[in-house]
Amino acid sequence: MPEKEPMNPPLTQSSVAETAGRLSARPSVRESDRTAGLFGGHQQRSAILGQSFTWLCGGALALNILFVLGILFLLAYHGLSYFWQKDLVELTLKDGSKVLGEVWEVEKTAATPEQPAQDRLRMKTGNRDVTGVDFAWIATADVASRNKPSDAVLLERLEWGNFHGFLEELHDGDKVLAKGSDEVWKAFPAMHERKRAQREEAEALEKGAIGDVNYEIERLRLDRRKLDLEAHSPVEKTSRIEEIDRSIAEHEADYQKLAERLFQLREELDKGTLTVRTADGQTKDMPIANVVRAVRTDDLGVPGKLKLYASRAWEFVSADPRESNTEGGIFPAIFGTVMMVFLMSFAVAPLGVLAALYLREYAKQGPLVRMVRIAVNNLAGVPSIVFGVFGLGFFVYLIGGSLDQLFYAESLPTPTFGTGGILWASLTLALLTVPVVIVAAEEGLAAVPRIVREGSLALGATKFETIRRVVIPAAAPGILTGMILAMARAAGEVAPLMIVGMVKLAPALPVDGRSPFVHFERKFMHLGFHIFDVGFQSPNIEATTPLVFATAFLLIVVVTMMNLVAISLRNHLRRKYAGSAV
Amino acid sequence: MSQTNPRSPSFETPRRRLIADRAARWIVSAGGLAIIVSILGILAFILIEVWPLVVGAKVRPSRQIALQGPEAMALISDEHRTHVATLAADGHVRVFRLADEKLILDTDLLGLVGGAELTGALVPPESQAVAGATRDGRVVLAPVSFDVSFDGDRQVVTPSVAAPTVVEVDPERRPLGAFTAQRSEDGSATVAAQLADGRLAVVRRSVQENEMTGESAESLERFEADSPAGLTTLVMDADQRNLYGGTAKGEILWWRLEGGAPGGLTLASAGTSPITALDLLIGGRSLVVGQESGSLSVWLQVRERAGSDQTSLVRVRDFPRHRAAIQEITPSQRGKGFLAIDTGGGLGVYYSTSHRTLWTGMSPVAKASCLFYAPKTDGMFVAGSGRLAAIDIDNPHPEVTWKTLFGKVWFEGYDRPEHVWQSSSGTDDFEQKLSLTPLLVGTLKGTFYSLLLAIPFGVLGAMYTSHFMHPSYKRVLKPLVEIMASLPSVVLGFLAGLWLAPRIETAMPGLILMIVVLPALVLLSGFAWNSLPRGFRNRFHTGTEALIFVVVLAFGMWLCFKLSGPFEATAFGGSFQTWLRETTGLGYDQRNAVVVGLAMGFAVIPIIFAIAEDAFTNVPPNLVAGSLALGADRWQTVTRVVLPTASPGIFSAIMIGFGRAVGETMIVLMATGNTPIMDWNPFNGFRTLSANIAVEIPEAPHGGTLYRTLFLAALLLYLITFAINTVAELVRQRLRERYSQL
Repeated sequence: MPEKEPMNPPLTQSSVAETAGRLSARPSVRESDRTAGLFGGHQQRSAILGQSFTWLCGGALALNILFVLGILFLLAYHGLSYFWQKDLVELTLKDGSKVLGEVWEVEKTAATPEQPAQDRLRMKTGNRDVTGVDFAWIATADVASRNKPSDAVLLERLEWGNFHGFLEELHDGDKVLAKGSDEVWKAFPAMHERKRAQREEAEALEKGAIGDVNYEIERLRLDRRKLDLEAHSPVEKTSRIEEIDRSIAEHEADYQKLAERLFQLREELDKGTLTVRTADGQTKDMPIANVVRAVRTDDLGVPGKLKLYASRAWEFVSADPRESNTEGGIFPAIFGTVMMVFLMSFAVAPLGVLAALYLREYAKQGPLVRMVRIAVNNLAGVPSIVFGVFGLGFFVYLIGGSLDQLFYAESLPTPTFGTGGILWASLTLALLTVPVVIVAAEEGLAAVPRIVREGSLALGATKFETIRRVVIPAAAPGILTGMILAMARAAGEVAPLMIVGMVKLAPALPVDGRSPFVHFERKFMHLGFHIFDVGFQSPNIEATTPLVFATAFLLIVVVTMMNLVAISLRNHLRRKYAGSAV
Repeated sequence: MSQTNPRSPSFETPRRRLIADRAARWIVSAGGLAIIVSILGILAFILIEVWPLVVGAKVRPSRQIALQGPEAMALISDEHRTHVATLAADGHVRVFRLADEKLILDTDLLGLVGGAELTGALVPPESQAVAGATRDGRVVLAPVSFDVSFDGDRQVVTPSVAAPTVVEVDPERRPLGAFTAQRSEDGSATVAAQLADGRLAVVRRSVQENEMTGESAESLERFEADSPAGLTTLVMDADQRNLYGGTAKGEILWWRLEGGAPGGLTLASAGTSPITALDLLIGGRSLVVGQESGSLSVWLQVRERAGSDQTSLVRVRDFPRHRAAIQEITPSQRGKGFLAIDTGGGLGVYYSTSHRTLWTGMSPVAKASCLFYAPKTDGMFVAGSGRLAAIDIDNPHPEVTWKTLFGKVWFEGYDRPEHVWQSSSGTDDFEQKLSLTPLLVGTLKGTFYSLLLAIPFGVLGAMYTSHFMHPSYKRVLKPLVEIMASLPSVVLGFLAGLWLAPRIETAMPGLILMIVVLPALVLLSGFAWNSLPRGFRNRFHTGTEALIFVVVLAFGMWLCFKLSGPFEATAFGGSFQTWLRETTGLGYDQRNAVVVGLAMGFAVIPIIFAIAEDAFTNVPPNLVAGSLALGADRWQTVTRVVLPTASPGIFSAIMIGFGRAVGETMIVLMATGNTPIMDWNPFNGFRTLSANIAVEIPEAPHGGTLYRTLFLAALLLYLITFAINTVAELVRQRLRERYSQL
């Protein structure tokens, strides 16, 4: 392979390294130490020693590669297997009791003096409402038999996690619609579909119409307080307050009607129940409306499992979280992350480019500019938490606090902008990432060949026109690279956001249908914080770890894709100007 | 810069374009400068937030009013410093409104109970009450309250004096010597005094409420004990459990009151100068002692040996001596501050924990008779010569000095001065312990263990990539390293804390095994590769070995994990953690420095790798070629030519890696237990500056001492990383210049 290359390539870095590589590849050099060498006396030994150290260096590199690949693989494996349905297995233990669940792993216990090492199974048993736990450890030695019952069913529920067991009866009010496992299984889908539609209606009513009315009442109440605070003539004040009170009363009447309707719907919903039996014979009634999905794992086969996989993956990225983030989807976190990154980009792009233009094109190059450049460069190395602290002190307390006093006095002491929110988070991250953009944009500007500029100037364009029409378009990939790197950094950054605006569970998205539609003051959810929060602060860590893996995988896929795009853009840019830079 | 030709006007650039050009120049310059200034303004803002920590107290007399009636003997004021209540020798509690200098309430305590005039008066520590000793051997205790109500937006303070508790201390009705009293919420009270015959009497009045009827029954218990003669002053803690006294011989006495009975007397000597004033700081654990010589010291109860119940009083700090005898000491109701006044009118504001003398000056009124520290510590009152002076104190952060932040401090309840970070607690009288040293040590510990991994792997890997590998591999490797650098630290922290930590806990022996097994395997497979036929090997690019090593290492790791159990059984007697505790005495936390070292090391490797690789690759090719041409082999060339030339670049790579590790937050937050302890045990957790900020700042009240201390921590991080990065950058620039000259 090396022999195919031209004998006299231009002396660039890579070609030298290549030449060097070729030299070392040629064993004559490597083993030529038997002949005289300028360095070292005991050639034979030093050659072996050198060779060994070289290998150790190679080993260090290999370990780095192994680390990266290992982490990517680990995340991909755990993250992607989260959606895969394992078969439900029924274990009959030697003491006669039965356990139904998914086998998650087989582990060897540590050997102790009293007991030799033995295998044990980690089973996801579900039924948290019945047993209080999701997982059970079972020694393999205790298992008498295992089988896969064809009528075992897994119910994903809105509350209490999954249920593993067998269907018994289906009720609609007092009426028994079906009895026996197979009968119920047949009758269930139609009933479930109906109840789910009802549940969705109830939820839509609650979130939509009732939410709107509440929002409106709250707004009117604040208006009233504002009137109180402002100076008005007493007559005018009274009349306007009366008006507002009337309006509030109307809304409250509306609310009553809606609440009644909701109550009816709820009652209707509760009528449909399902009697189920656990593997060890306990029965339980549960509302059908709470069932998200019913699965007989034995029926599925691979195509069915794939379909289920796709449907779960879709639910994961599109649905709201349930059970304080430990189940359901992560849509609000995705939305919050994306919105914050975009807000940040809007702030950071013009600022970064303007600063880079100044530094590269307008400022007089000298020691001062050099120092500023070093300072800006080093700012990228300042820990992100420092920016978080700054954001809290400056944006939240100073600016947000002042905004509240000026414009939102009626809702004080509850802060509006004087607390963490998506706007402050975005601006803090903009500060954090602006050095990245400045450095990349400067690099892009510097890479534009002088000939191109001079050509434009020679044709009579002013400096500004040259910059606008020639330099910036040519430097655009560089600027874009910087932007993408900044966005990738922002997407993965958590520490400063913990201080300036993220919450565990945001009640509402920062964008909704109520005026002014975009709510910059709201707190938001974020993928990275979601990982921290669910992984470390949830009460049931064991059960949520797979979900965190899935979230982490999603996050690194996004960040890695962005970085890859940035890298390829930059390589493209370098290649484009590599020849023309004179 | 526009190209114009003055001779041919038709070619002149139109004015409009010139204006646009000039405007653009102006806007870009102004905007660019503004952005750069505002970015650098971050430092300024953080400095401004930290500044109040280092500013001393501002003390300014605000007003003086005339007091009616005899000279005040005790003083108390409300939270907002609008009213002052005085207790005078005639037994009257008089409440004055400061705004209009009016006497608005006058209650005769003795008139209610019948009795002679007062011989002494005091405000018991941590109470809202005044106490006085009568000439006929009784003690009167009267709670004074200032109720706040709102009339519209206006705040109205209504002072009231509750019915006094009267305790007969000397049945023989002789005047009392030194006395003290303490009262609790339910009306129980304890009074201690030296009788005319020199004995110490303690009288406890307890109130029991009958739960059925709601009636309360009183009971009195009286104890007497021997006492050294010449007690000059007495003070009792708020729990009515400890009684302290000072004598004219300079002794400090400490009685434990067991069920009211004075027992377990402990003596301590404060020199020969008579004790003239004694008071307890909030919490009742620090005793402030003032002497005739003007000396002012703080004493703590300290266990004599670790684990023993024997406690003694230890003089832990001395404040600058007053010119005259200390007359009165008044504790603050917030934090460990106090005031002291001497007989010469010298007044001082002090803070015990930080050992700070915040202010000293002269009392605005002559012949000061009593002193009071306002409840919010924003002011004090001095009465004397029939006048009352109100003094404003602006001193928001007395508890911090450089010494408390970085040095050892002897805190209440500790056996010796220590570095402690403990910012909050459930109780009000808690002493904030804001030492940044444990956090700095934690930061350095985390950085040390991660660099231990990152430096060799980053530098050696970079060396191999740049000089032993075919460039086609490099094109793949560099993006891989960049992806490694871009992995969000929260993901690494999650993996370290939830995946790695529990696995390492069981497989620590395997990890130790890896240190030996992995290099051995690499060498073995290297020699195995070398023994393959040359023709076969030449079909691959140089550096293919490293790719083979990836597989070998993966196998090696798997092997070590498998061997971990047997190795643990043979080398560590079955349990590594037990072995560790028994042989070295070190504890083992699941989330420890090894886990952080691995995870943060992983985060730092790509940074070191990228910069080091740059430095290695950019070594001028003629040097390399020269060395090779002279017959040196590859390894010799790299170690003796490339490495020395590139060493400044390696240095700068390590510095930047250090900077990254110092400031990393999420990994340490998630992969350690975040306990602020100081030790270098790799199997313990720690807390870093950055994690500390993330943990504490959401709870820190805006503008408070903790808030500003956390800003200081951020400032430290900023300065450390900025300085390190600047040095690294300058080194790199010089290196680049050197390369271009070679």
